[in-house]
Amino acid sequence: MIFVSFYRASTFALQNFWRNLWLSLVTILILTLTLYSISIVLTLNYVTDQAIRIVKEKVDVDIFFDLGVPEKQIIEAQTFLKNMSEVKEVQYISADQALENFRTEHADDADIQAALAELDENPLQDSLIVKAHQVESYTTILSRLDQSEFAEIIESKDFDDSQEVIDTISSASNTITRAGYVLSGIFIFIAVVVVFNTVRLAIYAQSKEIGIMRLVGATNWFIRSPFLLEAILYGCIAALIVLGLLFFSVQTAAPYLNNFFAGYEFDLMAFFRAQYLTVFLAELAIAVLLSIVSSMIAIGRYLRA
Amino acid sequence: MIKLKNVWKTYSGNVHALKRVTLHIKPGEFVSLVGQSGTGKTTLAKIIIAEERATQGRVIIGGWDITDIKRGDIPVLRRQIGVIFQDFKLLPRKTVFENVAFALAVAGAEQKKITTIVPQVLRIVGLEKKSARYPDELSGGEQQRVSIARSLVHRPKILIADEPTGNLDAINVQGITELLLKINSFGTTIVLVTHNPDVVNGLKKRVVTLDHGEVVSDQQIGRYMI
Repeated sequence: MIFVSFYRASTFALQNFWRNLWLSLVTILILTLTLYSISIVLTLNYVTDQAIRIVKEKVDVDIFFDLGVPEKQIIEAQTFLKNMSEVKEVQYISADQALENFRTEHADDADIQAALAELDENPLQDSLIVKAHQVESYTTILSRLDQSEFAEIIESKDFDDSQEVIDTISSASNTITRAGYVLSGIFIFIAVVVVFNTVRLAIYAQSKEIGIMRLVGATNWFIRSPFLLEAILYGCIAALIVLGLLFFSVQTAAPYLNNFFAGYEFDLMAFFRAQYLTVFLAELAIAVLLSIVSSMIAIGRYLRA
Repeated sequence: MIKLKNVWKTYSGNVHALKRVTLHIKPGEFVSLVGQSGTGKTTLAKIIIAEERATQGRVIIGGWDITDIKRGDIPVLRRQIGVIFQDFKLLPRKTVFENVAFALAVAGAEQKKITTIVPQVLRIVGLEKKSARYPDELSGGEQQRVSIARSLVHRPKILIADEPTGNLDAINVQGITELLLKINSFGTTIVLVTHNPDVVNGLKKRVVTLDHGEVVSDQQIGRYMI
């Protein structure tokens, strides 16, 4: 009996869909725009999060020691830094190692190679490269180092304040996200109103059928279900369209973004491919929820009478 | 079968559509509910099918007190009471068969049951040969027969006919009246709401007369009095 009723309600729902085809299409369009705007906001959030992560990963501090400082003291400084809870890792680069690195990095540059060959002694210093767990900790680490016994053997510290870059990205990301949420909110509101209106019109168009259904003993759930199923159908179609649109958008944007993040672990398309089922289910859940809520309000108001 | 105990129906502004209505209709009876327009006949019919609720008093249908019936139980009641109206309430885009089948379909009946019952009720109302026609291809009397057929699919114990002959010519009035008597002969209780004296007088059945919402006469073999 449940199966038979479901089959009949689905048939009625499809009939409603075709009878008001234009209205159905407009409703799907609005739901699609709503879902698409939400998806774009979430994608932007993901991209900026990745950008911040990458910038944070890049941040480190180079500490250069005076020439001639014994290696033992540098190792002591390394241990001192390593013992700080904020510090993630400390790498010791000896002057020789630094020169070697420099040589390798500029292996193709004949001028530099020639200049290096002219040198009698290594002009580079021993250094420590410090990476903290959190970007915010660098100031603390450096101030502790300044107050330590090692302060006098340090020649310079190279700390490009990446916090500023991070703040800029965060602030831009927050602005974009906030604007995106406002836009999504507006679309959600419009979507609810449009679905509500579509279902209301469908109900009015079939008020005679509904009257007869009630007269001959159809349950309220049976009367409601075709309209609910119709709204769910809108949601499913919109979610499918948005998945396609997103795939296309990501495919178009991915080369530019991947290029921007070249050298880092970032591939938008791979992320999308790995997550598309989750994305689709989330889209579907949002669309169906929106449809159900608005159609329940529309049907409830009518059937209560 | 139908018991009304001191039923009142009051609308806003202290307008009484029904006052002190006490009525007992036994199983298998044929009762005509008569009175002028606006005397509360249709309101009474609506209270019996729970489309309206009594403001005061009790309404009992087949032993079931429906005075405060829950909304979810109304469909169960409606499947036990067939209802027909003056305006037939047929769906124009459905054939005779589909219109009748609709009542079973929306109640969740299996297709097999539909294909068995619909031809049976169409035979009772004499429309078995017109099952593929659309309502606008039928006369008024035939359309009312379709409506009666639809009301019979759930094999109701009670049939409420609200002015069923109001839109029909004399010949069709006769035909519908005979059909109602035939259905009554199967044991179905009939409540006929009408203001057609010829119909009432020809029936020679119980007549309850309403005036200004009150029962003013209840005769076992009655005549139209007002």
